[in-house]
Amino acid sequence: MVQAVPLLIAISAIIFIMLQMTPGGPLAVSEGGGRSGRVSAEDLQRLRNKYGLDDPVYVQYFNWARDLVRGDWGTSFNTGLPVLTMIQERLPTTLLVMGLSFLMTLILAFPIGILAALRRYTLFDYLTTSVSFLGIAVPSFWFALMLMFLFSFSLHWLPSVGLSDPRADYSGIAAIQDGALHLIMPVTVLALTSTASITRYVRAAMLEVIGQDYVRTAHAKGLADRTVIGVHALKNSAIPIVTVLALELPDLFIGAVIVESVFAISGMGRLFIESANLRDYPVLMGVLIITATLVIGFNLLADLLYAVLDPRIRYQ
Amino acid sequence: MTELGGHPIGEAIDVGARPEQSSPRGDGLRDQPRSLVSDAWRQFRRHRLALGSLVAMVLIVVGVAVGPLLISYDPERIDFAAKSQPPSLRHPMGTDELGRDQLVRVLDGGRVSLAVALAAVSVAISVGVAIGAVAGYAGRFVDNLLMRLVDVFYSMPGLFVLILLMTLIGPGFWTIVIALGMLRWMGTARLVRASFLSLKEKEYVEAARAIGAKRGRIIFRHILPNALSPIIVSATLGIAGAILTESALSFLGLGFQPPQATWGRMLEEAQRSVINDGHWWRGFFPGLMIFITVLSVNYVGDGLRDAVDPRRLER
Repeated sequence: MVQAVPLLIAISAIIFIMLQMTPGGPLAVSEGGGRSGRVSAEDLQRLRNKYGLDDPVYVQYFNWARDLVRGDWGTSFNTGLPVLTMIQERLPTTLLVMGLSFLMTLILAFPIGILAALRRYTLFDYLTTSVSFLGIAVPSFWFALMLMFLFSFSLHWLPSVGLSDPRADYSGIAAIQDGALHLIMPVTVLALTSTASITRYVRAAMLEVIGQDYVRTAHAKGLADRTVIGVHALKNSAIPIVTVLALELPDLFIGAVIVESVFAISGMGRLFIESANLRDYPVLMGVLIITATLVIGFNLLADLLYAVLDPRIRYQ
Repeated sequence: MTELGGHPIGEAIDVGARPEQSSPRGDGLRDQPRSLVSDAWRQFRRHRLALGSLVAMVLIVVGVAVGPLLISYDPERIDFAAKSQPPSLRHPMGTDELGRDQLVRVLDGGRVSLAVALAAVSVAISVGVAIGAVAGYAGRFVDNLLMRLVDVFYSMPGLFVLILLMTLIGPGFWTIVIALGMLRWMGTARLVRASFLSLKEKEYVEAARAIGAKRGRIIFRHILPNALSPIIVSATLGIAGAILTESALSFLGLGFQPPQATWGRMLEEAQRSVINDGHWWRGFFPGLMIFITVLSVNYVGDGLRDAVDPRRLER
């Protein structure tokens, strides 16, 4: 809790300084002339004054941080829109893809992991273990490309890019259906790696608990298997799993960059790459701050959940 | 069974001091002191998947190293007469829309992908060992400061920072290597620090200090070799991560620039022809190479972890 704020300050400062030190600086694209036409020296100077680019780096950082806290995230060099507005437009898309992937991970990983643990050393267990090992090694962009080839190009079952069909003008249920069809592949791709690794954790955590005395006691006093596994065993194995789950969320957010790029979905990841190519510094800083906040926030959540779920932690 | 007698359990974990559990005769007569390497190798051999993966890994490295020399096609030679051909005997992995042979491009690209990953992991390990050793050995204020630095780097959104660096500085072999390395050293630093914290209290370190060994000698000669096993494991697993990250960067169009092929770059170039024209071989083979390489590196790393850490065998 105490650490989160200084961490965020440190990270934003490092990234801010890194941005300032890169060759060219924010106006490199304008200075280059190129397609956008020459920008005169006076105009450049006016821009430099406007954005305070001649101030020392630490002054720029303090100004930026002060405005950030006040809710002014600056305006995009490129579109002229407030950064916060641009992020508000894109963030829900990324969170939607990410949230659905997380849900899919939960729905798949828990039953499979638990079953594999209960049927240890059976064919099912071996299959689960090896498939999850494969899942961790699959590059997501390759998986995405192969899915697109199979389900879009060959079978024509699913649309390959975007989040909605631009040619059709659906409304109501048809729009939802259209959106759902578009989401199947991106969500599956993003969920693959996390499902694979969470399944392994669930299996391991379950195995750890199954052998414990209190599980045997629960069996001995005649409780149904369902109750023993679902209540007594699961509750205790959940402690390490919840932590791992919270730590999985930042990975999903960052993984969304690749998924958005393959499936041409305009979320935060694409916004970031577009802005990086245009050297749109205010937007870059905004996206990075959001991402860093999410990473730190989820780490904090993992710590807190751990303490809440395991009363022993408090005594230490 | 043999000389374990009075040792506390914790001591048995130390390299070399392990009780013989697998003496084929069970009589203990053949027990001889064994080195870490031969001991680890004995364990590693039992892990069949790891052994198979090691073979696969060696094949890939050899194939990538000598393959391009054996195949008569130039990876960048354009041949419009043979464009966009599916896999055949002449071109086992097909050709792209410029008629370039995919197999030789995959092998050629593999050189770069593997070299980047190896170099990046070397950077990461060097930085991680240096920082972890200093933090663990010095302790107190220095330790605290360095560990907060680790926290900061851990909380950085890695791929975002990489994308930023690549677009702003521009990609190049060493840019990619150093950027990748600088974002992956933290795990090693924590491992090394933990080993140093416990090892520096050991009697043999005290003995070395008592006979007047210099600090550098104690760190490099006495402590570091005993902290090596976790470093080796994390380095191996780090290679897999580095290959995946470099491929992802190249796939986003931010890694190596054409005409240089890397596996990720080839996938990026293949996107259109796979999705629009159904030329599946363009994407399938480069991705398959990443997949097999990462998979076998992971298995080898897993086998190594079991081999150097006897505790894990009990499970």
